Amino acid sequence: MLNFKINSSEIDKIGNFTKEEKNFRLKNLNYFNDNGFPNKKDEDWKFSDLKTIISKNFTKLDIQFAKSKKEKVDFIKDFEHNYIIITNGELSASDFRYEEKNKINLESFVNDNYSNEKENNPLINLNHALSNKGYYLEVKDNYKFKKILVIYYLFTEDLDENILNSKNKIRIGKNSELHLLEYLVNSSKQNFFNNVYEDVVLENSATLKNIYLQNNKSSGYFHKYSVNKLFTGSNYTSFIFPAGLKFNKLDLEFNLEGERSECNLQSASFIDNSEHQEIKTRVNHLSPNCKSHQKVKNVLNTEAKGVYQGKIFVKDVAQKTDAYQLSKAILLSESSEFNSKPELEIYADDVKCSHGSTSGNLDKDSIYYLMTRGLSQKESSKLLINGFLNEVVDSIKSNSIRNFIKTKLQTQLQNEHKKH
Amino acid sequence: MKNQNINYNQDYKYGFTTDIENIKAPKGLSEKTIKFISKVKKEPKWMLEWRLKAFNRLKVSKEPNWQKPKFPKIDYQDLYYYSAPKSMKDKPKSLDEVDPKLIETYNKLGIPLNEQKKLSGVAVDAVFDSVSVATTFKDELTKKGIIFCPISEAIQKHPDLVKKYLGSVIPISDHYFATLNSAVFTDGSFVYIPPNTRCPMELSTYFRINASETGQFERTLIIADKGSYVSYLEGCTAPMRDENQLHAANVELIALDDAEIKYSTVQNWYPGDKNGVGGIYNFVTKRGACRGKNSKISWTQVETGSAITWKYPSCILQGDNSIGEFYSIAITNNYQKADTGTKMIHLGKNTKSKIISKGISAGKADNTYRGLVDIGRKALNSRNYTQCDSLLMGNKCGAHTVPYIRNKNSSSTIEHEATTSKINEDQLFYCNQRGLNQEEAVSLIVNGFCKEVLQQLPMEFAVEAQKLVGISLEGSVG
Amino acid sequence: MLEIKNLNASINNKEILKGLNISIKPGELHAIMGPNGSGKSTLANILSGKEGYKISGELMYQGKNLNEISIDERAQKGIFLAFQYPTEIPGVNTSNFLRTSLNKVRKAQGKKELDALSFLKIVKEKSNELGMDEKMLSRQLNVGFSGGEKKKNEILQMKILDPNLVILDETDSGLDIDALKIVADGVNSSRNNEKSFLVITHYQRLLNFIKPDFVHVLSDGKIIKSGTKELAMELEKTGYKGIN
Ligand SMILES: Nc1ncnc2c1ncn2[C@@H]1O[C@H](COP(=O)(O)OP(=O)(O)OP(=O)(O)O)[C@@H](O)[C@H]1O
Ligand SMILES: [Mg+2]
Repeated sequence: MLNFKINSSEIDKIGNFTKEEKNFRLKNLNYFNDNGFPNKKDEDWKFSDLKTIISKNFTKLDIQFAKSKKEKVDFIKDFEHNYIIITNGELSASDFRYEEKNKINLESFVNDNYSNEKENNPLINLNHALSNKGYYLEVKDNYKFKKILVIYYLFTEDLDENILNSKNKIRIGKNSELHLLEYLVNSSKQNFFNNVYEDVVLENSATLKNIYLQNNKSSGYFHKYSVNKLFTGSNYTSFIFPAGLKFNKLDLEFNLEGERSECNLQSASFIDNSEHQEIKTRVNHLSPNCKSHQKVKNVLNTEAKGVYQGKIFVKDVAQKTDAYQLSKAILLSESSEFNSKPELEIYADDVKCSHGSTSGNLDKDSIYYLMTRGLSQKESSKLLINGFLNEVVDSIKSNSIRNFIKTKLQTQLQNEHKKH
Repeated sequence: MKNQNINYNQDYKYGFTTDIENIKAPKGLSEKTIKFISKVKKEPKWMLEWRLKAFNRLKVSKEPNWQKPKFPKIDYQDLYYYSAPKSMKDKPKSLDEVDPKLIETYNKLGIPLNEQKKLSGVAVDAVFDSVSVATTFKDELTKKGIIFCPISEAIQKHPDLVKKYLGSVIPISDHYFATLNSAVFTDGSFVYIPPNTRCPMELSTYFRINASETGQFERTLIIADKGSYVSYLEGCTAPMRDENQLHAANVELIALDDAEIKYSTVQNWYPGDKNGVGGIYNFVTKRGACRGKNSKISWTQVETGSAITWKYPSCILQGDNSIGEFYSIAITNNYQKADTGTKMIHLGKNTKSKIISKGISAGKADNTYRGLVDIGRKALNSRNYTQCDSLLMGNKCGAHTVPYIRNKNSSSTIEHEATTSKINEDQLFYCNQRGLNQEEAVSLIVNGFCKEVLQQLPMEFAVEAQKLVGISLEGSVG
Repeated sequence: MLEIKNLNASINNKEILKGLNISIKPGELHAIMGPNGSGKSTLANILSGKEGYKISGELMYQGKNLNEISIDERAQKGIFLAFQYPTEIPGVNTSNFLRTSLNKVRKAQGKKELDALSFLKIVKEKSNELGMDEKMLSRQLNVGFSGGEKKKNEILQMKILDPNLVILDETDSGLDIDALKIVADGVNSSRNNEKSFLVITHYQRLLNFIKPDFVHVLSDGKIIKSGTKELAMELEKTGYKGIN
C-alpha cells in the first residue's frame, strides 16, 4: 500500500465523460499518482502522516463499490426536521415537508467546474479524478427554512477497504437562511476511506448554521476539504462534534469575499484509542469589516493524537478585520499528543487579530476545589472534561437541538469514562 | 592597530605574502579555500579535518527555503571566504567620505567621534579607549580563570575545550548555512567560565580588539561550567559599515549543572536604503544547550538592521529543571525582511521556557515570528509560556506569526498567545496632546510595547537600544 | 473536634508552618489573625488535604488522624473550606455542581440523594437568605463572579453542605458592609454546640458580628499569642508589631 497508484482505466469505469471532464480527471489522477498519499514532508501534513497511516491500516483500497442496498434509517425524533439521506456519499432520499418546495433545488451532483488550477492537496486531486457521487443543494433567494434540515450521511455495513470520493455543493441564495445538521451514522465495522470535497457559497446576506455531528465512533478514515465563499453581509456558523474516527482530517477554507461577512467556527471533541484527528482551517479576510471567530477544543486520551492548524490571512484591503482563534487541548494520558500551528499572516494594519493555544492537563486548582466539595478525583475530572466541552455546546441557540447534541455527547463521554 | 601588527609579523613569517593587507583566500568555495583559511589561522590538523568534514557535508546539503523572505540566489563561488582586514588605503579617509545618514544616526545615538570613525571603518591609528579598557578587563578575568579570547586563539591554546564543545550544539551536519559556517568560519569569540565562578562583568565583543573585523562567518562558543554565570553582549547599537552581503554566524552556548548564560544581542547592520537596495543578509544559527540540571540560558535580541534576517536562537533543555528564555524585538522598516523566533526543545523533567516576542513592521517590510515549542514524552511537568505581539504601521507591510506547538506530555502545559494590531490611536492622540510630535509619540509607544524585552537588556545596552527603536522607525509615520 | 499538635509544613523547600498547635472543641469558634504571608491559608489548605506540602506533626479530626485521608473524603466527613480565592471553573454549571457536591456528602453520611426538585427548593431558600440572585446559579462556577459574589457563593455552599468544621479563609475580605452582615448572619445562624469554626481574618470588624470564643495570632508559622476577643481589639490598635 506504500506506493498506491491508480490506473487511468478506473476513470472509464466510473462513467462516460466529455473530453473536457475526462482531461480534468486524468490530469488530477496524474498529480495524485505522482505524489501518492501525502506524508509529513508536506507542510500541510506535517502532523498527519497519511501515507504511513494508510499503509499501516489498509491492504487495499477499492475504488469501485457496488451500489449498496437501502439502509434503514434511524430518524431523529427529538425535533421536527426536513431531511436528506446520503448513502455512502450518494443522494438516496429527501423530504422537505416543512418547506416551500419551489424554493429549494436538490439534485445528484458530480462536478461542474473543471478548473485548471493546480491543487496542492493530493487528496483533492484524488477526489477530482475519481468523484462519482454527491449532491447539489440550493436554497433560492429570499427564503428562510422553517425547520432544520438534517442530512443523514449513512455508511453501510458492507464497506470494507473501499475508498469513496464524493463532491457536494451548497448554495444559499440572497437573504436566505438554512440551518443544517450533518449527522453521520456509520454501520461498517471495517476500515474504509471517505474523501469528500465540499463547495459552499453564501450569497449576499445569506445565513448558514451548520452542525456536524457523528453519531458513533467508527473505524472510518475521513478526509474532507471544504471551501466556503461568503459574500457581503453573509453569516456562517459552524459547530463540529466529531465522535472519533480512526483518522479524521477536516480541511476548511473560508473566503470572506464580501464586506461585513462573518464566520464562526467551534469544535469540541474527545479523542481516544489511537484516533487521529486534525482540524485545519484557513480563514481569508479579503474585504473590510469582516469578522471571524474560531474555538477548537480537544480532549485527548490514550494514544490519541490531535492536531489544529489554523491560519488567519488578512489582505491589505481588509481593514477593520476582527479575527480570533483559540485552541485548547487537555491531555489525559501519557501517550496522548497535541500539536498545533496557529498562524497569522497579516497585511492590513487596522485590524484586531489574535490567537491563543494552550495544551496541558486538567487544572489542578480546579480539581482541588471540587474535591474540597466532596467529589472524588475521578468525578472532578469528569465534571471538568464535560464542562470543558459543553462550553461549546452551550453556545448553540436552539434548545431542542442543543439538548439533542448534549445528550449525544453525554452518552459518548459516559462510554469513554466507563472504559477508564 | 596593535593586534594587526602582531598578525602582520606572524603572517609574514609564514610567508604567504609580505603585505597583510593583500591576504585573500582564493575566490570561491573549495577544499583549497578551506585549507588556506586553516593555514592562515595556523590551525592544528584536527581543526582542518573538522572543517573539511563540514565541507563534504555541504556538498550534499541544500539551502533552506522554508523561510518567508526569499533572497536572490547567492553564488557561493563568487565570494571570498577569507580576507584580512581592509587596508588603510581602501578605507574612507575621513568621516566626510561616509554616508551622511550613518553619521546622523551616530549623532543621535550619542556615539563619540572616535568610535564613529571606528564603526564606519574610517582609518584610525590611535589606540582608543575600548582597547585599553579591554586590557584592564583581561587581567581581571584571567585572575578568575575565565577565558575570553578569539576562537582562533582558543583553538591553539585550549584545544581540549574547543574539541569537546565545538559543534556539540550545532553539529556540522546541521542546515546549510550552519554547515557553511563550520567549513569556513574565520573568527569569533570563545568564552569559558570555570566552575562556581560568576563572571564579574558583562563580556562584550564590542570591547574585544578587532571586534568589528571578525567578518561574515563568525563563530562563537561559550561554555559555562558547573555553577557559573556569565552575561555576554554581542554587537553594538551603532550600525556598522560592512562590505559583506552574506553573514552566516554560528553561536553555541553550553550551560552545565546550575550554570546560567545570558546572551544579549543588538543587531543593527546595514538594512539597505529606502528603496531596498543593498543591505546585509543575516542568516545566523544560534543555539544553546542547557546540558546540566538547573541550568539556564536566556537569549535577548533587538534586531533592527539587515536587509534580510533569519535567526532562531534556540534552547535545548536537556537537564532536569533547566530553563530557556527568549526575549526578542524585531523591527523592520522600508524593504527589510525579518524571519525570526526560537525553538524550545524540552527533553528533561521540570523544564521551563518562556518566549516573549515583539515584532514591529513599517514601510513595505515583512516581519515573521517563527517558533517551535516541543515538549517530549520524557519532559514531565514542563511548562512553556509564549507571547507574540505584532505591531503594524501602514498597510504596505506584513506581520506573520507561525508557531509550531507540540505537546507529547500530559503533565506539561503549553500556553501560547499572539496578537496583531496597529499602533493605538488613542495613545498617539494622548501623546500629541501632551506636546509630543508624531515621531516622538511613536517612539514612546513602541518602546512601551517592547518594554518587557528591553528590561532584559543590561543597563548600558538598554538605553541605547531604546533610542534605536525610535530611530529605526523614523519616516514610517505621517 | 480538631486537634493540631506541633504542625510543621513546607512547600518547595520553603518552611511555612513551624510547630503550630491549636485545639478546637465542638461548638467553639476560633479566629486566627496574622500578618500577610504568615501561613494562615497554608494552614487552611492543609486541613482540607491539599497536596504538595511536606507535613509533620499531628492532625486529629473527630478523634481520628487526618493523614492519608483524601481531600474529598475530608469534605464528606464534614470539613468545609471557604477559599480566600475561590477557583473559577469554566463550563461547569454552578447549580449542577452544587447538587453533585451535596449528594456526594449526603451519600457519605448515609442519607438519601436529593432529586432535582427538592434540591432546587433548598438552594433557592438558602440563596435568598444570602440575598443572592438566583440567576447566578445557572452561570458557570465562579466565572466572572465579582469578588463579593464569589465569597457569598462559598457561604451558600457552606449552608447547603452543612459541615461540622468550617474554615473561613478571609471570607470577609472584599465584602461590602451589608454583605458582611449577611455573611455573618449566615455563620451565626449555623452555629450550634456541635459545629466548630476556624475563622481567618484580618479585620476585627468581622469579629464584632461573629463573636469568637478564642483569638489566635499566627506569625511566622507559629501561634505567638492566644486570647479572647479583646486580643483582636488590642491588635487593631497596636498592630502585629506590638505583640510579643
Ligand atoms: N507553593 C508555594 N511555594 C512557595 N512558597 C509558597 C507557596 N505557597 C505559599 N507560599 C509562601 O508561604 C507563605 C505563607 O503563605 P499563606 O498563603 O499561607 O499566607 P497567609 O497568611 O494566608 O497570607 P495572607 O494574609 O496574605 O493571605 C508566603 O510567604 C507564601 O509566599
Ligand atoms: Mg491567605
